[in-house]
Amino acid sequence: MGDNLKNTYLGAPARVLEVENLTSIEKLYTLRFLDNDINNKFNFIPGQFVMFNVPGIGEFPVSICSSPTRTGYLQLCIRRAGRVTKYVHENIVEGSIVYIRGPYGNGFPLEEMKNSPIVLVAGGLGMAPLRSILLYHLDTQHFSDLYLFYGVRNYELMLFKREIRTLLRGYYNVHVYLSFEDIDRGARELIRLYRKSIVRGMVTDALEVLRGSVPFEESYAVMCGPPVMYKFVVKKLLDLKVRPDRIYMTLERRMKCGIGKCGHCIVGTSTSIKYVCLDGPVFTYWDVLSTKGLIE
Amino acid sequence: MHYKKLPKEFLEEFINRLRKWGEVHAPQKKGKNTYFFSRLDDPSKVQIDYTRTVIPPTKKYVLRPVEPLMLFHGDRAEEHTLRTTKLVLFGVHACDINALKILDRVYLSEPRDPYYEIRRKNIVIIGISCMPDDYCFCKSMGTDYAMSGFDLFLHELRDGYLIRVGSPMGHEITWNISDILEEVSEEDIEYLKKFEKQRLSSFKRHVDISAMPDILDLAYNSRVWERYSERCLGCGNCTLVCPTCRCFETYDVWLSVNTSMRVRRYDSCFMVSHGLVAGGHNFRPTRLDRFRHRYYCKSYFDPIHGINCVGCGRCDEFCPAGIKHIEVLNEVIGEIYGR
Ligand SMILES: Cc1cc2nc3c(=O)[nH]c(=O)nc-3n(C[C@H](O)[C@H](O)[C@H](O)COP(=O)(O)OP(=O)(O)OC[C@H]3O[C@@H](n4cnc5c(N)ncnc54)[C@H](O)[C@@H]3O)c2cc1C
Ligand code: FES
Repeated sequence: MGDNLKNTYLGAPARVLEVENLTSIEKLYTLRFLDNDINNKFNFIPGQFVMFNVPGIGEFPVSICSSPTRTGYLQLCIRRAGRVTKYVHENIVEGSIVYIRGPYGNGFPLEEMKNSPIVLVAGGLGMAPLRSILLYHLDTQHFSDLYLFYGVRNYELMLFKREIRTLLRGYYNVHVYLSFEDIDRGARELIRLYRKSIVRGMVTDALEVLRGSVPFEESYAVMCGPPVMYKFVVKKLLDLKVRPDRIYMTLERRMKCGIGKCGHCIVGTSTSIKYVCLDGPVFTYWDVLSTKGLIE
Repeated sequence: MHYKKLPKEFLEEFINRLRKWGEVHAPQKKGKNTYFFSRLDDPSKVQIDYTRTVIPPTKKYVLRPVEPLMLFHGDRAEEHTLRTTKLVLFGVHACDINALKILDRVYLSEPRDPYYEIRRKNIVIIGISCMPDDYCFCKSMGTDYAMSGFDLFLHELRDGYLIRVGSPMGHEITWNISDILEEVSEEDIEYLKKFEKQRLSSFKRHVDISAMPDILDLAYNSRVWERYSERCLGCGNCTLVCPTCRCFETYDVWLSVNTSMRVRRYDSCFMVSHGLVAGGHNFRPTRLDRFRHRYYCKSYFDPIHGINCVGCGRCDEFCPAGIKHIEVLNEVIGEIYGR
């Protein structure tokens, strides 16, 4: 981990190959390192993140949303959320140079999950790191079945629309369920086409609707979403009889280094301190039980 | 361990000879009762009986309050290169030496912090024994004696100092200045024993740490946190003077139209921004959250390395609201027992 790049805080220069508007607030950036050696060596596990460094502006952590099976480039889905990300949206275009360091964090324990069914639960931007697992499965058939539950406010804000619409049509062992809080035009159209796969409400409502149709008892579950989501989804998953040792989640905290030095991402109490950047961002349900404050 | 003795009359000579291994920095007095580590030009100015410096020497010389990390010229980046001076820190107390070991664990674990590493490599540490004052609780934390982490350690004797040699660098120094050193006598050993006995019985503040991490964790909702956090001003002094607090924040500064610099500076978990993320969500929104967080971070029991606090007493001495770390701990612990 982190051995890919030699300069601890700088990272390596990368060129933006493509920028795609996903929604009004999220863009997908495809990047490639200038140094071919790094492109060849750069390897990561879904769930890991990189630090995205814009000279003179600042730096922030962002999950890798492409799959390690697709080499030679990296994809990052960036939401305009604050000062640096706003700058990125407005000024980083095709051809721009930024600095990338990483990959950091632990990533998902994919080996352990091999050949089991997996349930991905995404809320909003949480779809970004989970897309890495999704693409990984499409390329390697790593899981016996993949169930994606993706909750988003409305169709307008849904990420990766094209990919998800393709999968909705039915794809071998990948099953997609969407939940929308507001039914806008796009959502209405999807409901018309794929009635059984769309639920009005929260992602937990979608999970409830599929009680009995998804083999929750044998599945691994992985979730990512806004801080408020975790408590409710964990409760629902336990209620659906997902085994507690098979519940994984990826969390976020303020991060200034990504490598356990700056102290911002520390959580926990006197018996259990965790660094989200080193010990996470992927945590288990056992971690949640033994570390106060990990989820709210 | 290899032992030598430095006769008292050679103390200044000893300090002057140390200059061969770097610029000597030592505790000196500023104002009435405050001490600072700074360059020692005149060896007679050294405050060998100092209590504690405001900023821990070990932290001050490895982590700068503000420091550039890199320069950008347009898209081109350049690592900031350090001008490193070799330093000899003379007169470091055991608590601070033990605190430096905690910082080392953070900054020298992979991936290493290059700036820290370069500075750290260029520091020679000469420890010195001390008597506790009203604030010290290092004995409770098990950090009142340094068994490693120094090159030389001086123990006060009646007519000189017993020197413990703790590293190859320490050997090199003692080898080179052997003309002013003596062998340790039976009488010196007797004195050391007496000194240690007196030192150990002079502590006025204690906290029982064996079950402390669990008791504090169980007391998450204790009223004591709330009461103290209401008194706390949230100024962050305690984190600034703490020898093991090491959070930093980074930001960019423009030097010209196309040159900028990434800088880091000390940060404190008492600042509202410490747990704030984009979109306005704060993981530690209240003073209470932040107050408790610091106590938990300091009292964290690492299964391999032990507790993160070395009991130097700085946060107590320099808290403008008069909050005493050890009193808070004792009160929280007591409260659970008492129920
Ligand atoms: C492990 C991890 C993965 C993430 N993955 C993604 C992703 O795939 N896509 C995406 O759009 N966002 C992601 N984020 C959130 C993203 O880092 C923040 O949106 C971003 O830092 C906002 O920066 P800003 O400068 O625009 O905001 P400001 O509010 O101006 O923040 C200033 C600085 O504070 C820090 N900071 C602020 N918010 C966060 C935050 N939520 N997490 C960490 N540091 C923060 C950053 O260093 C940031 O530069 C992730 C965060 C983490 C911790
Ligand atoms: S991000 Fe700096 S310690 Fe985790």
